[in-house]
Amino acid sequence: MGILTILIFLPLVFGVVILLMPKSLTAYFKYLTVAVSLAQLIIASWLFYQFKTGVNFAGVSNLSQYQWIEKLDWIRLDVGSFGTLQIDYLLGVDGFSIGLVWLSALVMLIAALSSWEIKTNLKGYFALFLLLDTAIIGVFCSLDLFLFYIFYELMLLPLYFLIGMWGGVRREYAAIKFFLYTLFGSIFMLLVIAGLYLSVTDPTTGNHTFNMVYAMNPANYSAGFILSAAANVQILGFSARSISFIVVFIAFAIKVPVFPFHTWLPDAHVEAPTPISIILAGILLKVGGYGIIRIAYGIFPEVAVSLSFWMGLLGVISIIYGAMNALAQRDLKRLIAYSSVSHMGFVLLGIASLTAEGLNGAMMQMISHGFLSVMLFFIVGVIYNRVHDRDIYNFRGLANQMPVFTGFVMIAFFASLGLPGFSAFIAEAFTLIGAFSSQAINGLLPRWMAMVAAFGILLGAGYLLWTLQRMFFGTLRLKKEEWQSQLKDLNFREILTLTPLAVLALVLGIMPSLVFNVMSSSVNQFLMLFK
Amino acid sequence: MEQFLNPYQLFLIAILAITAPFLAFILSLIFKKIAAALGILSISISLISSVILFLHLWKKQTLHYSFQWIHIGNVKIDVGILLNDLSVIMLVLISLIALLVHIYSVEYMRKEILKYRYFAYLSLFCFAMMCVVMADNFFILYAFWELVGFSSYLLIGFWFTKEKAVQANKKAMIMNRIGDIGFLIGIMIMLSQFHTLDIDALFGSGSLIDSSFVQNGLWVTPFSTMPGYWLSIAGFCFFAGAIAKSAQFPLHTWLPDAMEGPTAVSSLIHAATMVAAGVFLLLRIAPLFNDVVLVSMASIGLFTAFMAASIALTQNDIKKVLAFSTISQLGFMVLAVGVQDNAAAVFHLITHAFFKCLLFLGAGIVIHQLHHIKEKSNVDFDEQNMDNMGGLRKLMPITGIVFFIAAMALSGLPFTSGYLSKDAILVSVFEWADLRGGIFWLFPFVVSITSWLTTFYIFRVVYKVFFGKLRLEKVIAKTKEQMHIHDPNYWMTVPVIILAVFCFGVFFAYNPLNLDSSWVYHGFNLQQHNEGIYHLMVPLYINVMSLALIFLAHLIYAKKKISINFEQTWYYKLSYNQWYFNAFYDVFLMKMVLFKAQTFYWFDRNIIDGAVNFSGIFILRISKTADWFDRNIIDGLVNGSAWLVSRLGLWLRGMLSGKLQHYFIWMLILFLSFMIFKIVI
Amino acid sequence: MIPLQHFLFISAALFSLGLFAIITRKNAIQILMGIELMINASILNIVAFGKYDKIDNTGQVFGLFIIVLAAAAVAVALVIIMNLYKRVKTIDPNQTNLLKG
Repeated sequence: MGILTILIFLPLVFGVVILLMPKSLTAYFKYLTVAVSLAQLIIASWLFYQFKTGVNFAGVSNLSQYQWIEKLDWIRLDVGSFGTLQIDYLLGVDGFSIGLVWLSALVMLIAALSSWEIKTNLKGYFALFLLLDTAIIGVFCSLDLFLFYIFYELMLLPLYFLIGMWGGVRREYAAIKFFLYTLFGSIFMLLVIAGLYLSVTDPTTGNHTFNMVYAMNPANYSAGFILSAAANVQILGFSARSISFIVVFIAFAIKVPVFPFHTWLPDAHVEAPTPISIILAGILLKVGGYGIIRIAYGIFPEVAVSLSFWMGLLGVISIIYGAMNALAQRDLKRLIAYSSVSHMGFVLLGIASLTAEGLNGAMMQMISHGFLSVMLFFIVGVIYNRVHDRDIYNFRGLANQMPVFTGFVMIAFFASLGLPGFSAFIAEAFTLIGAFSSQAINGLLPRWMAMVAAFGILLGAGYLLWTLQRMFFGTLRLKKEEWQSQLKDLNFREILTLTPLAVLALVLGIMPSLVFNVMSSSVNQFLMLFK
Repeated sequence: MEQFLNPYQLFLIAILAITAPFLAFILSLIFKKIAAALGILSISISLISSVILFLHLWKKQTLHYSFQWIHIGNVKIDVGILLNDLSVIMLVLISLIALLVHIYSVEYMRKEILKYRYFAYLSLFCFAMMCVVMADNFFILYAFWELVGFSSYLLIGFWFTKEKAVQANKKAMIMNRIGDIGFLIGIMIMLSQFHTLDIDALFGSGSLIDSSFVQNGLWVTPFSTMPGYWLSIAGFCFFAGAIAKSAQFPLHTWLPDAMEGPTAVSSLIHAATMVAAGVFLLLRIAPLFNDVVLVSMASIGLFTAFMAASIALTQNDIKKVLAFSTISQLGFMVLAVGVQDNAAAVFHLITHAFFKCLLFLGAGIVIHQLHHIKEKSNVDFDEQNMDNMGGLRKLMPITGIVFFIAAMALSGLPFTSGYLSKDAILVSVFEWADLRGGIFWLFPFVVSITSWLTTFYIFRVVYKVFFGKLRLEKVIAKTKEQMHIHDPNYWMTVPVIILAVFCFGVFFAYNPLNLDSSWVYHGFNLQQHNEGIYHLMVPLYINVMSLALIFLAHLIYAKKKISINFEQTWYYKLSYNQWYFNAFYDVFLMKMVLFKAQTFYWFDRNIIDGAVNFSGIFILRISKTADWFDRNIIDGLVNGSAWLVSRLGLWLRGMLSGKLQHYFIWMLILFLSFMIFKIVI
Repeated sequence: MIPLQHFLFISAALFSLGLFAIITRKNAIQILMGIELMINASILNIVAFGKYDKIDNTGQVFGLFIIVLAAAAVAVALVIIMNLYKRVKTIDPNQTNLLKG
């Protein structure tokens, strides 16, 4: 049994353990969950530390260059003249996934630590939580499309219940909206996965295969099958590969989310309990970005190149549109949800630029936004848990009331608005540099896109500073008298949660090479697909 | 001077100069009690290091060390330090003024509970500012440029419970961000064109910028080609960054608002050092600018100088006057860069730093004293309003004298440092206009007027504050003896006296009346200055007129011999309301952006999400219809046929009467009807 | 020789008499007798047509068969009538509606 399998299924095992534990031990569920997440983070950190970099470990379209590969024959079904149905249990990580695996482990630990606020039906909550954990790590590690799809759908189920049962007032609406929206995207993706299966053969066994690494290599396509580039199959007058790309892109764009597929996000975030908001913002959105890179761009590179302008445009629109919407919010959590739309727009813009700078920037942005959004949602949770209100206008002058908290808020806000020294600045700057130089390097994105996107940073400063001024500065004024006694400064657990995030944002801002070194050879290899 | 230290040791000293304030920043937040001492100690170390660096590097060599930081694709971004003449002189300037302000702040902030934060932020600022002048590439420069803005944000909002202060720091940060976007776009253009951001490689000797040229509408560099207008755009983008930082029109309104911060901060950051960073940036990248950009730069500098001076004429808040004066003087520097007299710009930057810092510190002493009186008397009055001052010359003589010296320097009177640097700019503008002719004669015309306005407004302050009668006596109904207004203790007086000494021209020139004997000016002016008529005439006619204006101001504000009543005129109102820029920005632009944001949100809720919800509802409706159809039509058919059969059955059943003979009759009828049917068919 | 029509006329008359008896009589025995008349009318027809059959005497043979069957049917019918009488104490078909659906 490989290390990745342990990493993936460790939470599941303990989820079952929690289900089997008697009611009298309810109080220990959260400690067990934190322990499991911590163990997972330790394993993930060890993987990150041991991860070998360099040209020979680039991965991407070269299966042998992936690390910690685990391959088991899972389903072998003889389908007569059609050969053998081959579904593998295939795991492995490369430069694109290792960072996200580590991020997921970290975010799950933070989410577990912030699960203290959950008071009802703890057994169900933590069991679902650990199931979700398994699914998330599984998504980033699986290299077989079928396995990927299973983990991908497996994420939805616990999330649906976690939002729908432990959420806010309109939780059922939000949960069903989230579930249907994402499912809508992914079912069409299943068709494409089936199409890929029919077109791709395993060069070693000659069977049709779901292997996504083989699908990136045009040599593995059997000529004449639907998604083979040579066959040029037309569906309703469009090339089958273009349609497939768009379908897969939409499936992941919903997850990212990209304008105009973003509206599930504010509702889901606002209604979800804090730990689930953290998971949603910290990891779920990254699954979208990861999928766009690995599947949409990796498997359909020529379509991606031809549609790059539109991808970039969507990215720019998301940046500006999300920021403008954030500016209009009164609800702090909704504001942060919209700011996520804006920040994730940079990811799409960076990917669309198809330059080394842009892609590195996009990956960096995913990781950086990973813990910054976690921090922001945790901050909202701190206020909400104390007084059950999130309206910006109901608070003023919190800086005197909660000085330590305000310190962390300032770190989180200034890091998110791209203050140099924090990771978001490096990420956004590199994304913009990539988008700008794209015109000169490959001619995909016009220069004005980067210039317009830069104004997203300005708007980001606008809404965050405005919030800071309205909520934290000035003389203390709260909506209700009793809030003053309820709004206590951070306790030890909360400081313990926020500190590593703040430190990480700072460390990656000063030493971005920690992440860039791991990714860069994979990014270079990835860009070779588009040559 | 002999070289005692090798370059590597100098590099270590440079690192020491920036590490000391950074450590002070961290340690001040931990050891709150000794924050002030830590701040002073660290900045003293920086000053000593800076002086050592200055003595070794000035006019001798350039120190350039860099280390690999990020390498991605074509982009190689290193982190390193670049010390040339400009950097070292800025280092000395920053650390010297920062040290004086630190000392001054000990007394100024004595009663603040959170003063450890103040000193921590001040150290952070010093760290960032010194990194800005040392940075060897644009990326690092940009990073610390923003960090400088951030520490300024923290210090403006130091009294964070004051509503105006937090409004001001937000405004400062956002306006600076507007410029920073320009700066960032400029960086992207440079990186895309030259594949490097190293300032030395770009603008140093044998630089990349020299090897690029515009030909056939294309901007060609050794690496890449762009349409020619991108060269202008690049220039404008960097200039935008400088506009915001140096508070030039149209992004100047943050600086007067920034006066909400402690006065010591205003003096260090918003007068002497940070705002000069914009000019510093322009100087570092001066070779980039083409003619279009330079002329716009000169125009904006000129306009800002004039506008701000005209506003300063009527303001009653002493700090506001000084703030607009700063904007105006920064306009002069930008103008100097625009007319390509970089030496004059640097020179003015340095001299201005001393006398403007002194003006602010002097004003700070006055405000500090009045603030104490306000606290004791429990009467609410504005301690910054000059209408409450007057006659302080006799009560606080040291302050009065140093303020007077600084005012003379600002006016550019002979024997002061301002005389040398400001006249250098004026002369350059005259020569520049002479070279171009035509409409460009407007520049020397306006700049002369601005120069006279400067003299008038600063002496208006001097006479209103230090001469005449103490008007505060009427406000709080106490005599001046009861108020105990006096010069402050050594913590405050020593720094201002040191600064006052530096306002004299002898420190900058062997002959304080001759610009050409100035070592600072010559340090940067490499080409031989042509001795023209302007060198003699311009200082003469400017200063003669200035003296007349000082006399006029004396009559109006000190002696009250002349009283002029023009408060109802449109130009007074225009000036008093700061040309209505705030009204325009806050009311119009902010409202517009917020309205747009609301519109976007409406669009998102109703159109985008509306479409999602609509499709949800639409599908629900369809399913309702399908349900109805299913229940009534499809199931109706099934049920209907069953119903029909049962009806038929019942009817037929009615026929079976159980009477045997009826059956026979039926049989007969059926048989007969069958036969008839057969026969008929 | 007697022509075929004569046989058919008599047979029709017999059949009609039987039918009339079935429909009108109030006594089950009489209805049974009506049925017998109709059966005999049909036997007469078969025998009369049998003259023209290619195979000899088939008509007669069929006639005999039918007679035997009719006798058996009468026996069964009489038993039914007896049983009916036992149950409802009448043999008037109009008085019973046990067959009613």
